[in-house]
Order: sequence, then structure tokens, then C-alpha cells
Amino acid sequence: MGGRKIDYPDVLFGGFLIFVAAGALAATRNLSVGTAASMGPGYFPVAISLGVMGFGLVFTARGLFKPHEGIERVQFRPLFFIIASVAVFSLLAAHFGLVVASLACVIVAGFAGREHRLIEGIAFAVVLTAFAILLFVRLLGLPIQVWPW
Amino acid sequence: MEFLDHIALGFSTALQLNNLLFCLIGVLIGTAIGVLPGIGPIPTVALLLPFTFGLDPASAMIMLAGIFYGAQYGGSTTAILVNVPGETSAVVTCIDGHEMAKQGRAGPALAIAAMSSFFAGTVATAVIVVLSIPLSILALKFTAVEYFSLLVLGLFAAVILAHGSVAKSLAMVLLGLLLGLVGIDISSGAARMTFGIPELSDGLDFVPVAMGLFGLGEIIANLERPSVRPVVSQSIRDLIPSRADLRRAFPAMVRGTAVGSLLGVLPGGGAALPPFTAYAIEKKVSRDPSRFGHGAIEGVAGPEAANNAGAQTSFIPLLTLGIPANALMALMIGALMMQGIQPGPQVMTQQPALVWGLIASMWTGNLMLLVINLPLLGIWVSMLKIPYRLLFPAIVLFCCIGTYGISNSLFNVWVMLVCAGVGYFFIKVGVEPAPLLLGLVLGPQLEENFRRAMLLADGDFTVFIRHPISAVLLAVVAALLLALLSPTLFRKRKEALAE
Repeated sequence: MGGRKIDYPDVLFGGFLIFVAAGALAATRNLSVGTAASMGPGYFPVAISLGVMGFGLVFTARGLFKPHEGIERVQFRPLFFIIASVAVFSLLAAHFGLVVASLACVIVAGFAGREHRLIEGIAFAVVLTAFAILLFVRLLGLPIQVWPW
Repeated sequence: MEFLDHIALGFSTALQLNNLLFCLIGVLIGTAIGVLPGIGPIPTVALLLPFTFGLDPASAMIMLAGIFYGAQYGGSTTAILVNVPGETSAVVTCIDGHEMAKQGRAGPALAIAAMSSFFAGTVATAVIVVLSIPLSILALKFTAVEYFSLLVLGLFAAVILAHGSVAKSLAMVLLGLLLGLVGIDISSGAARMTFGIPELSDGLDFVPVAMGLFGLGEIIANLERPSVRPVVSQSIRDLIPSRADLRRAFPAMVRGTAVGSLLGVLPGGGAALPPFTAYAIEKKVSRDPSRFGHGAIEGVAGPEAANNAGAQTSFIPLLTLGIPANALMALMIGALMMQGIQPGPQVMTQQPALVWGLIASMWTGNLMLLVINLPLLGIWVSMLKIPYRLLFPAIVLFCCIGTYGISNSLFNVWVMLVCAGVGYFFIKVGVEPAPLLLGLVLGPQLEENFRRAMLLADGDFTVFIRHPISAVLLAVVAALLLALLSPTLFRKRKEALAE
């Protein structure tokens, strides 16, 4: 490997843990910790956050000196379109009902695939939406708004 | 004769018409997702959880359990026919099962897989019956001190027996515990880590977390790989295994069942680990190990028995002690809590119809699977022809509607979205997300018992080693950690998991 260092998966995971622990410590800084005999609401969260922080620091430090290990290249297409399809669903469902949200969700999600065909995607969205409404609203009785009006 | 009363009560619950129906629905869904690679039982159970709210608790648990062991049956079908494991627990079945299919013996392979699963399911049901009563009696003696130690043991063991790096899995457990603490603190009423978001005051719901981490994260990662179209190699002619097949398969079936039952009961057990061990054992005891990998029927019978036995006996810690052995059992705990039942040893005495009905339903469910599996083979095979490009948008949509439906709140959909991104990140950096889910579900329980124990002992930490049961439990934790640090065992575990 010719002296190349840094184990990227380790360092990234460590960094993620440090980030979360720091966030948790910041969010609980005003809660009283108390003593072991009478614990305040902050005792357990602070203890666990410190544990998470410890693991994060160890992984990061260790990863920096381990032999090089890369990360499989991130492909943005599936990541972006799957996340987007959920966001689109969430944004549309509240105001326009389940039908519009479902159609949009399936159509957007379709773009995540490599062999995407738009016409097929739209047709499939219609079928799937009809099926979902039948299953979730008619059969399972979910009390959610179906139509935009 | 108390024992027979329990069984009678169980069967009278399990044989009620509506419970039979829910059992059938469960095992059918289970087989379907088992056959389909890319959808596992965890997101499926998470998706169906909200809808079990309106059901009777026994029916709900019977259906959800059916999904889990039904998936073990389905997974082997795909493994044998297309050499792709439908579930992780069917990975080893691919080796000899698909080889048998290539030799034109797919029929006997499928039949032996189904028979092994049924045999293991029957024995495992009996094991649950025998072990449940003494364990639950022991558990009734537990105070907060013992509970805390038990939870610690459960979390540690789950991590050690799971795949992947132990240190990283431990970090994931802590992360899960931390997320489990989000919400209003019960004893003081203080809002913790809610960032002023009112929806978070009841805590982070684990359904969207599970669906994001396991369902959507997986989809994103799957789509990055070039798509492989599964090809069903051949038509299935005669299903009946020959007499020689049966003679070879039966001892393997028995050994696989024993291994699976044993590994399933351990905390951290489940359906994934036992088949690997069973395959290794079969190879060892065989007089001619070179046949393995070339269509040895023992290589199908042993692992298939093991995964089904493991799937079922992993219910034992849940039913008797209220602690989940794996991430799926954590979801089952969630299902109980949604029904207003606090999981723990008292469930056995307070809800006998639920517990014994669930246990009895495992046997009826296995019988249904044996009967429906082979005749419906054509349907399962045609399901495999659905291309992934049509499958994944459907999963995304069902996840969205499912989370939205939990409490009619879109907040949960956003939680799922974030978890999808995080789940993808975990896959990329190679960490297993299951321990996080376990921590998330157990976090509140762990804190409550720790605080109660400390309050009773007046802040004296030695209380955990002064109580004998608790001391034993913690000694096991220490032994596990020591064993892990010893280099020889470490290598063994690595080998076992790598195989």
C-alpha cells in the first residue's frame, strides 16, 4: 500500500459518533446531573454521551494510523432520488392528500434506478397508488386524507 | 398437569378461526418477503406494526411471529433455485442447495428444506414450552438490580454474537441507548434532547427508525450495485426425495435443530448465526466432506433446520424475561407495548392466553407452511421474476404510507428520511445497524432500572455485585469480554463468521 494511511470508514464513523455525542451533550447541558443516589434527568444521557464520545475518539484516532482503506464510491443518483421521493411524499401528503403524494413519490423514486423508463414509471405509479389506497385506506382503515379536496 | 393446561389453552387460542387466519396471513407475507431478496423481515414487521394496533394482542403477535419464521422457509426457495439468498439466514443453503438444483434435483432439495424447517419448528416449539416456565419463575425474583444486569448482558451478548466489529457494535448500542432517551424524562418531567420539537416529547418512535435504517438505507445501497436478474434455472419435476436422501438428511436435520435451538435462546441469537454453525458441523461429522459444495443434501437439511429452530427459540428470552435477543424481537417488544402490555416475566402469568397461544401458533404456522409452500411454488417462483426496478418504488411508498399512518403524523416520515440517509452511511462505513435498534428499544428500560437500583442502594455501585443473580450475570459479561480479548478465541469467531 506504499505507506498510504487513513482508514476512511473508521474515521468517518468515529467522526459521526463525536458529532452525535457533542450534540447530545449540548442539548442536555442545562439538565441537572445529580448524584448516583438521586439522579437528575441529565445523569444517564451525559454518561452515555461520554461513552459514545469515547468510542468516536478511539475510532477516529485509530483510523488515522491504520493502513489505507477506502470507501466504495458514493453514487448520488439512488441516494438523491430515494431521499427526494420521501421528502416529496411528506410535503405533498399534508395538503394534497394521499393520491397526489403517492403518485409523486413513486414517480420520483423510479428515477433512482439505472434502467428507468418514464412511461412505465408513470403507469406503475398509477397502479401502485390505486393498490395502496385500496389496501391502506379501504382495507386497513387508515384515517388519512385521500384527495386534495 | 399444569403443563398440559397451558398447552390446551395455547391451542384453544391458536385454533380460533381469526387467529388461524392471522397466522396464515403472517406466514404468507413471511414466505413472500423471504423469497424476495432485498426485503427482510425487519422492515416488513416495522411496516405492519401500526396496523396491529386494532387487533387483539394474541392475533397481532401470532401474525408478526409468522412473518419471521415464514421468511426462513421462503429464503431457502430463492437460495436453491437462483443461488441468491432470499434472507441472510439462507446464505449457506445456496452452497449445496443450488448445486443440487443444477444437477436437476431442485425438487428434492426444496422438499428437504421444507421438511427440515417443519421438523425444527416442531421441536423448537416444544423447547419453548419446556424452558419458558422455569425461566419465568426465576425471572419473577428479579428486582431492578438484576434487571439492569440482565439488560447489560443481553446487549453485550447481542453485540458479540452479531456480525462485524465488536467495538463498533458496542458503539452502536450506546448510540441506540442515547436515542432511546430522547423525550420527556418520566421521573422529573424535564424535556431531554427534544430540541423544542413537541413531536419528540414522547420519544423517538422506533418504527420510522427501523424502516429508514433497514428498509430505505438498504434500497439505496442495492441500487448502487449493477442489477442482476435472477434466472430460475429449470422446471421442478418430482419433489419427492429418495429413500437415500432421507436417510442422509434426517441426522443432519436433528443436529441442525439442536444447534439452532441452542444458539437461538442465547441473547443475540436468532436466525442468522445458527445455519453457519450447522453447516460447519455437518462438514465436520461427514465421512466424506468433499461432497459438500457439490450438492450434499446434509448441507441443505442442517442449516435449514438450524435457521428455523433459531428463529423460534429466540422468542424465549422475549416471552420469559422481556428482553429481546435481536433487532426483530425488539420490534416484537414494541408491538407488545403498543398493545399496552409491559414486557417482562409477569406477561406469562397475566396474559397466559397470549403467550401460550403464540407458542401453539408457531406449530400450526409451521404446519401451514409445510402444506402451502410446495404446492404454491409456482407463485413464489413467478414473484422472483418481478424486476427490482418495480419492487423498490413500491417498498418506498409502503414505508412512507406506513410511517405516516402510525399516528397520522408527517413528522415520522421526516424521521424516516433522516434515518434512510444515516442507514446508507452505516452501510458505506460497514457498520451493522441492528445493535442500534436494540439499544433504542431497551434504552428507557435500562435507565429506569438503573435509577431504581441506585435509589434503593443509596448510590452504592457495589449493589450489582452484592446481589448473587446480578453478580452471576455480570460475571458472564466479564467472561465474554475476556474471551473476546483472548487472541485464539477471537480468531475462531472470525473464522466462524467468515465461513
